Amino acid sequence: MFNFKKPRHKLSEENKDGLRLSDLKPGEKGRVLEIGGSEQFRLRLIEMGLTRDTEVCVDKYAPLLDPLELIVKGYHLSLRGIDAQKISVERSN
Amino acid sequence: MNFNIALAGNPNCGKTTIFNILTGARQHVGNWPGVTVERKSGHYTYSDYKFNLIDLPGTYSLTAFSAEETVVRQYLIDDVPEVVVNIVDASNLERNLFLTTQLIELGRPLVIVLNMMDMAEEKGLKIDTETLSTLLGAPVVSVVGRTGEGVDILKEKILRVATEQSKKSRPININYPRDIETELQKLSALMEVSNDKDHLDRWRSVKLLESDKDTRDEMRLRSNGSEILDQTNISTERIETLFKDTGRAIISYARYGFIQGALRECVEENLKLSTDYSRQIDRVLTHRWLGLPIFGFFMWLMFKITYDLGSIPMDWVDAGVVMLMNFFSGILPSSMFASLLVDGVIGGVGAIAVFLPNIFILFFIIAILEDSGYMARVAFIMDRIMHNIGLHGKAFIPMIMGFGCNVPAIMGTRILESRRDRILTVLINPFMSCSARLPVYILVGGAFFPEQAATVIFSMYVLGIVVAITSGKLFSRTILKGMSKPFVLELPPYQRPTGRSLLLHTWERGYLFIQKMGTVILVGSVLVWALGYFPREVELETDYQTIETQIKHKYDDQSIELSEKYIRSLEQSEREYHSEMVPFLQSKNYLSLKAQHDSLGYLIHTTEKLEVYANKQAELGEIMSKRWIGRLGKVIQPLIEPLGFTWREGVALITGFVAKEIVVSTYGVLFGVGEDVDEASQGVIQGLRSSGMTPLVALGFMIFTLLYTPCLATVAAIKRETGTWAYTFFSIGYSLGLAYSLAFAVNYFGRMFNWLS
Repeated sequence: MFNFKKPRHKLSEENKDGLRLSDLKPGEKGRVLEIGGSEQFRLRLIEMGLTRDTEVCVDKYAPLLDPLELIVKGYHLSLRGIDAQKISVERSN
Repeated sequence: MNFNIALAGNPNCGKTTIFNILTGARQHVGNWPGVTVERKSGHYTYSDYKFNLIDLPGTYSLTAFSAEETVVRQYLIDDVPEVVVNIVDASNLERNLFLTTQLIELGRPLVIVLNMMDMAEEKGLKIDTETLSTLLGAPVVSVVGRTGEGVDILKEKILRVATEQSKKSRPININYPRDIETELQKLSALMEVSNDKDHLDRWRSVKLLESDKDTRDEMRLRSNGSEILDQTNISTERIETLFKDTGRAIISYARYGFIQGALRECVEENLKLSTDYSRQIDRVLTHRWLGLPIFGFFMWLMFKITYDLGSIPMDWVDAGVVMLMNFFSGILPSSMFASLLVDGVIGGVGAIAVFLPNIFILFFIIAILEDSGYMARVAFIMDRIMHNIGLHGKAFIPMIMGFGCNVPAIMGTRILESRRDRILTVLINPFMSCSARLPVYILVGGAFFPEQAATVIFSMYVLGIVVAITSGKLFSRTILKGMSKPFVLELPPYQRPTGRSLLLHTWERGYLFIQKMGTVILVGSVLVWALGYFPREVELETDYQTIETQIKHKYDDQSIELSEKYIRSLEQSEREYHSEMVPFLQSKNYLSLKAQHDSLGYLIHTTEKLEVYANKQAELGEIMSKRWIGRLGKVIQPLIEPLGFTWREGVALITGFVAKEIVVSTYGVLFGVGEDVDEASQGVIQGLRSSGMTPLVALGFMIFTLLYTPCLATVAAIKRETGTWAYTFFSIGYSLGLAYSLAFAVNYFGRMFNWLS
């Protein structure tokens, strides 16, 4: 019913096989490299402060394991795993 | 002199609280994102000037992705308020200033309010407001919304900006990277040729680089429109190749770049993570294993409190209604008017008024959930389930509000971004059992399941949820195919709700209910009364008067017989009395005989009363069945017979379409309570029990009431929010069909297996 192993979203060549936000475990931090997905989705996230090079911390996952909770720019934001998978990051701690 | 002031800001920035402090107007204050979905206005006077305030919906940006963003943008451009007050959450400055950069570009005189300064300080942030003011080119005032600290200074600043605006120079520009600036200047220069109205060309240039549709359309109307659009395409392409991203993203990055630059100069960070108390609370409330049980417990507690605690004031209101009815029937001579007032108006509305305590308690609890910030966590916890129906976790919020009343809940679906999500949520919302249905469960459930009333009522709510989920799944796979919008939800810090805000909140929603009582329910009650009052003369098949005389005779005879028997036994007992110790009248024999006689006498007396009462009920039943109300019920009886319903249920359900609470007052009329019976609802319970209804039919009736066609007001709300009659009629037909099928199934299988007969 809940399948996170859907085909990976298209990102540019260099980040194709890289780490995704959804790969981070609770407590781990990452730096945003690129956001994939639809233009509207990308823009909404950028507006919410997930700009390039922003540090995000995965705080936890919801009781049913989806969505996840991030700390970004000092506030708490929630995204679904399937959307977090569109965000490529590099580990930063 | 009048000034128009607009309040703008992010969701959860405390905008509504400040609006309340400034205007003192009644206003809904919540804590989950997007609570303010309508433009609300108010006004205040300060040093002889009148300030008209508009509370704009909370938005993160002005991109015009959602209805709210469009509203804000349109208002700021078209209505040209004299001052825009931008409320900013100081403890979350960076993201809040994103909207500010857009407001600055819109060029209206701006006052920036740093709200929640206490929380920012607690977090370890030190903000240099003077430097911030210089960098943003607008006065900055710090305020603590919860205590009202700093509001006087804010009023003074608004006044000064409003009165001095013509003299003051235009606000600063947000500086973009040099390559973008070059393109912006080219576009602005072209635009100035065809514009002499305002100074928004720079803003429009930015919008063009963002490929904003509305602005592009606007440009087509200009005399040099094609030239501007050609330049736009060239410029956009240039920066997109240069920055390897879309125009919109580049502009947004640049805005954040500007903000970060500003914050470096005026904020001193000394972050203390230990004080993130919200995170500590969330460790428990959204805990992996505890989160869901705690949520379930809160929901259970909500109903427990609503039902159990509410039953105490419920008795008081009930007593008050009966007192009123007795008072008026005492002073008014028996007439049609007296009957209309006592049975129609007071009786009808009174039957609903007794549920006011329950409803107010429920609204109060919902207000606590909203104001504390827990509602957003509900969306977080429930998203996976809601997602499964094809909905956003946020959609759970209007769903849960449906427990209060479907009308505001359906209006609340405006928080959802896509039209598809909104329609889907609107269609399944009526299955969330609203507070108006609670009286029906309390009455019918209380009458037939006195021991398990709470459980039965709770399971009605659960059934409603199950039906809503199943229908949602069905709709999202058939008539409303398509993916829901991405889930991007802010989880605001927990807050201790203020008593004032909770009361305002409860009162506002409760007031809607009282208003409904005064209008829809009043009309409905009078209508139901008239249906039960006319025609006056009915021909009865049974002579109830004779039966009553017969009953009285029968018991008179029995009483006489009893007395004679008693006297004989006394005489005999005295003859057999030998003891010298005590007089006969104090002897054991005498006392036991007397007790025996008294209890027999009492028994005869009560049975007589009961039989007379049953006779009266039967008479009333026949009278009602011959009045309009009964004839109406009889017409639809063949239709509902398979569900085990009689004409009474038919009438109750028809009148319940006006408002579901009326089901209860209809029963009140049908059983003619309020005349002899001291407690109105007790009378109906007696009547229901003696009407031949079985617990099984009662269960089917509650299910039918839960699911069938929503009330008139809800239908109106559905029409308003979906915008089409097609969805409205679909909703009516679907719910009616579903109610019928389920009630039929319960009755059919129940009889087959002999349940609850």
